[in-house]
Amino acid sequence: MTKYILIILLFIFKYAQSESYVKAGDSLIWDSEKQSYTANGDVEFQNDKFIAFADKMIAEYIEQKDKEVFTIVELFNDVIIEFKDEIFKGDYAIYTREDNIIKLTGNVSIKSPTRLLTGYELIADIDNNKRILNSADDESLVEVLLDNNAKN
Amino acid sequence: MTKFFPKALNTIIFLILVIQTLIYYFNTKSSTKVFSQKSVSVENFSSIVLSKSGMTKIGSEKLNKIDDNNISLEGISYLENSKYKIYGSNIFIDMENDVSSSKDDVEVINSMGILNAESFTNLDSEGKILFKGKVTFVSHD
Repeated sequence: MTKYILIILLFIFKYAQSESYVKAGDSLIWDSEKQSYTANGDVEFQNDKFIAFADKMIAEYIEQKDKEVFTIVELFNDVIIEFKDEIFKGDYAIYTREDNIIKLTGNVSIKSPTRLLTGYELIADIDNNKRILNSADDESLVEVLLDNNAKN
Repeated sequence: MTKFFPKALNTIIFLILVIQTLIYYFNTKSSTKVFSQKSVSVENFSSIVLSKSGMTKIGSEKLNKIDDNNISLEGISYLENSKYKIYGSNIFIDMENDVSSSKDDVEVINSMGILNAESFTNLDSEGKILFKGKVTFVSHD
């Protein structure tokens, strides 16, 4: 009986661990000196927060307790990021793990079930449920604080 | 005339002996080469080599030494060190330039996760591994 419980606990533990992945259609370069991964061609990146698609991705990592952890993820060309029921689009995106912020530039749009907004720059603060959309000339700015009940 | 004939005969015999010696010398030399090539093909091979990544354990179903700087690992092969474990097949290693490569499917395990690709080129002196074709990298980040 104890053996079966242990097996079930191991199974639960395995799936409780967060797992991310990178898929590339053309190539991937692991540079251990610069501590980065560069993926090219129909790139797909997923972590526990969002899933992203782009033509190119550069992910930097650091080593923590003998394990490597992604710290900065840059996405280039035709970037699409799916975060819950929102879809962010842009020409370039950068995600920093430390503050959990996604910043998109270029032809940016943010689409949700209730709205579609466009601009030049989008800052999506995941932890604080905040979206800031700027136009190219900084004349217009839209700041949206999402429903507090909506948890990340 | 009778005095000239033995001298000519001796000269001819001497020349023939010299030619035979040369033939023997060159034949012996080439046969040694063939022997040395055969002696560097090893089955179920494993060894440790020193590279920039440190001590790397290499192994394969069959090893062929192409020359002093190039070896080919035939069949199921692997490269393992403290940074990565590469499992593939038909891996070519350029020892002089610290480059290993394969055009066959490869699986790499490092401290971040497991990577699968259709081919690889490992530029060990630059600390870079280039994977080509469809690549999937699952990390436990």
